[in-house]
Amino acid sequence: VEAAELVTTANQALLEIEAGYAEGAPRPKAVRELFRALHTIKGLAGMVGVEAIVEIAHGLETLIRTADRAGGQLGRAAVEVSLQGVRAIGDRVRAVAEQRTPAAAPERLLAAIANTDPTAEPLAAAPVMSSAVDARLSASERQQLSQALGSHTPAWTLSFVPSEANAARGVTIGSVRAQLAALGDIVKVAPRTRKADDGAQLGIAFDIVLISSASREAIAEVIASPADSVVAIVPIAPPTAALPVAQTDDADDADDARAEEGSPIGRAVVRVELGRLDDLQDQLSLLIVSRFRLDREIATHAERGHDVRGLRQVSELQGRQVRDLRRAILRARMVRVAEVLEPLSLLIRSLARTSHNEVRLELDTRDTELDKAVADRLLPALVHLVRNAVDHAIEPAAERVARGKPAFGTLRVSCREVAGNQLELAIRDDGRGIDRASIARRAGRAIDDDTELLEALCSPGFSTRDVATRTSGRGLGMDIVRRIAVADLGGELRLETAVGAGTTFTLRVPLTIAIIEVFSFECGRQAFVVPVAAIEEIFELGDAGITPPSAHGGRSRAQLLERRGKAIPVFSLGVELAIDDGARARKALVIRRNGEPVAFAVDRMLGRQEVVVRTLEDPLVHVPGVAGATDLGDGRPTLVLDLGELGLAVRERGV
Amino acid sequence: MPRLHVTFRVGNASYAVPAADVLHLESYDTATYVPGAPAYVAGLVQVRGRLVPVIDLRVRFGLPAIEHTIDRRVVVVQVGTRVAGLIVDSAREVVKLDDAAFEKPPEIIEQQTAGFVKAVATIASRLYLLVDVPRIIGEELTP
Repeated sequence: VEAAELVTTANQALLEIEAGYAEGAPRPKAVRELFRALHTIKGLAGMVGVEAIVEIAHGLETLIRTADRAGGQLGRAAVEVSLQGVRAIGDRVRAVAEQRTPAAAPERLLAAIANTDPTAEPLAAAPVMSSAVDARLSASERQQLSQALGSHTPAWTLSFVPSEANAARGVTIGSVRAQLAALGDIVKVAPRTRKADDGAQLGIAFDIVLISSASREAIAEVIASPADSVVAIVPIAPPTAALPVAQTDDADDADDARAEEGSPIGRAVVRVELGRLDDLQDQLSLLIVSRFRLDREIATHAERGHDVRGLRQVSELQGRQVRDLRRAILRARMVRVAEVLEPLSLLIRSLARTSHNEVRLELDTRDTELDKAVADRLLPALVHLVRNAVDHAIEPAAERVARGKPAFGTLRVSCREVAGNQLELAIRDDGRGIDRASIARRAGRAIDDDTELLEALCSPGFSTRDVATRTSGRGLGMDIVRRIAVADLGGELRLETAVGAGTTFTLRVPLTIAIIEVFSFECGRQAFVVPVAAIEEIFELGDAGITPPSAHGGRSRAQLLERRGKAIPVFSLGVELAIDDGARARKALVIRRNGEPVAFAVDRMLGRQEVVVRTLEDPLVHVPGVAGATDLGDGRPTLVLDLGELGLAVRERGV
Repeated sequence: MPRLHVTFRVGNASYAVPAADVLHLESYDTATYVPGAPAYVAGLVQVRGRLVPVIDLRVRFGLPAIEHTIDRRVVVVQVGTRVAGLIVDSAREVVKLDDAAFEKPPEIIEQQTAGFVKAVATIASRLYLLVDVPRIIGEELTP
């Protein structure tokens, strides 16, 4: 898992470096990050003895180290070969995770890595300093400086002139060095000869380049505590000002944003298996149940005339704490959408290479977050949409230019949180749009608007494959996209398209989904499910089973059955639900209601599985006892029952 | 102004609903019974991935139940944000009906249909009853 994460980091760093080319700005931090990621991968692979990964990582590491020494710039060719290398590592990491034997390192790749000149096609964009010191900085020192400036740490140039007066007070170049090092990072200390006629007795001065967040005054004090020392502290101009490509403020802001949020390093992150979070949630539901019991006990005491005010206060406080805990657990399941969408950048890259279309991906995820379980289910749908857009919707460059569009296509994925705890994701391309008429011909029916168009595209098996490249360009796997968004996640899928201008798919999905483990069973010839967590035990009803109470319209009656020396009321679920068909109930599901066991007799058990629960919002079917519905795979809704609530509700209605 | 209407039959009468309110027409097989829902709610169906409650118009109109036939359809309608299905005996045609052709229903019909019919129109000697969809799907329930 950790290795997979590192592969992602490496890829991010490479894409970052590549983005640097587009903007004319180097990404020295990304180069370092890439190096670190590869180094750790190598170490991990060495520990578990996966030679292939060690070899590739080592090759890349060497390549990048050379680049770093030469100024921290990775040429285009080097980025290309590195991406290949990282992909090869990724493949093998997956293989190991799936307990397959990873393939040996491909000779050709190793050779390519070894033969790549890391600095070919670099950017001439090292920070330029007005000072004469600039000329004396080595490539790596310049690198260090630009890194600091990139992260908005101030840098300074200053001169220290040793004098007898200074020396008398113990201020020498040695002490200055030591003190400056305490304030920040010394990039360079360069001695130069000075003319003796300006008052200083020694014909030597030290030009110092310092990276430090300390105040100008603090630095001045170190070297210039005596008044006669000549001091010059000049903040070096930020590199952007000297870059050949003019950058707008917006671009700067974007850079800042990337520096802050783009890198997972710097945020403390602990990886947790989703299953453990599920456990936590299960434990929490037990806590909620015991809280109800506590409340009930308090009520009983109150009835007996005891003073329970103190207990009530504690119980209410605890109730709030449980709610907060629940929220905290939900938050823990959330992942940043920016990270969820990260694979799309790689996808675009590889697709663009095979289709020879240049496509730029713009991601606008703001600060949105999404339940990991939703994210995992959603990603395949997004991959489908992105693939379709690149393969079919974006026209070849020549055609685009002929239509007066930019030669490169733009695919924009934006998302925002909308009302109702939903996330809205829009995937917009500026391609050729979808031609309704041609889809209508293929679908064999009239299409009047985008809704009907989407309907046609999403028909199972509908494909525009043979006309894809010329006219429509969509339809491949759209039924899967809709199944994921609508049926699996209970969301929505919309489409807007304009011929010649592009297409936007909009998905709305819930931020979190309830995936629970359920028992499925049959009762009155209808299938139902109940959460496994709600069921205390399931037992076989004896030969006698239970006799359904005579159906003369009276209240439903429970029979008492002895179970482990205790009498348990057993209700016939079929009777409670008014769907009893006279079949003999064979199994009983035991739940706890107000702390007391209560059993419901059902016809037969079907199985145990994990399902996505969708809530029923329409008031027509928003009834007590029904927690939601799910699809057990037959395309029909199956109700998720809340047996505790159901029993109460049925009794209240006096059925 | 002539508007498209989806027409359907329930019992012996023909009904109409503005096509603009209709999302789809689906064949009807069976619905998942929802215990505790109003009696006229036949249950839940899944229409193109969406969970839709369906209303049996025979029950809603107080008509006797019939044997299942292959002609039965679900007219999926949308009212505001709510989506519901109407189970009808059959639905085939989409006709253009002029707003002007609709008249206030005779009192006897209004009484018999419990206010579910808000207008009637006679086109080519056929009587169409324009149904009040919000009322049928229980507008009083709308949050």
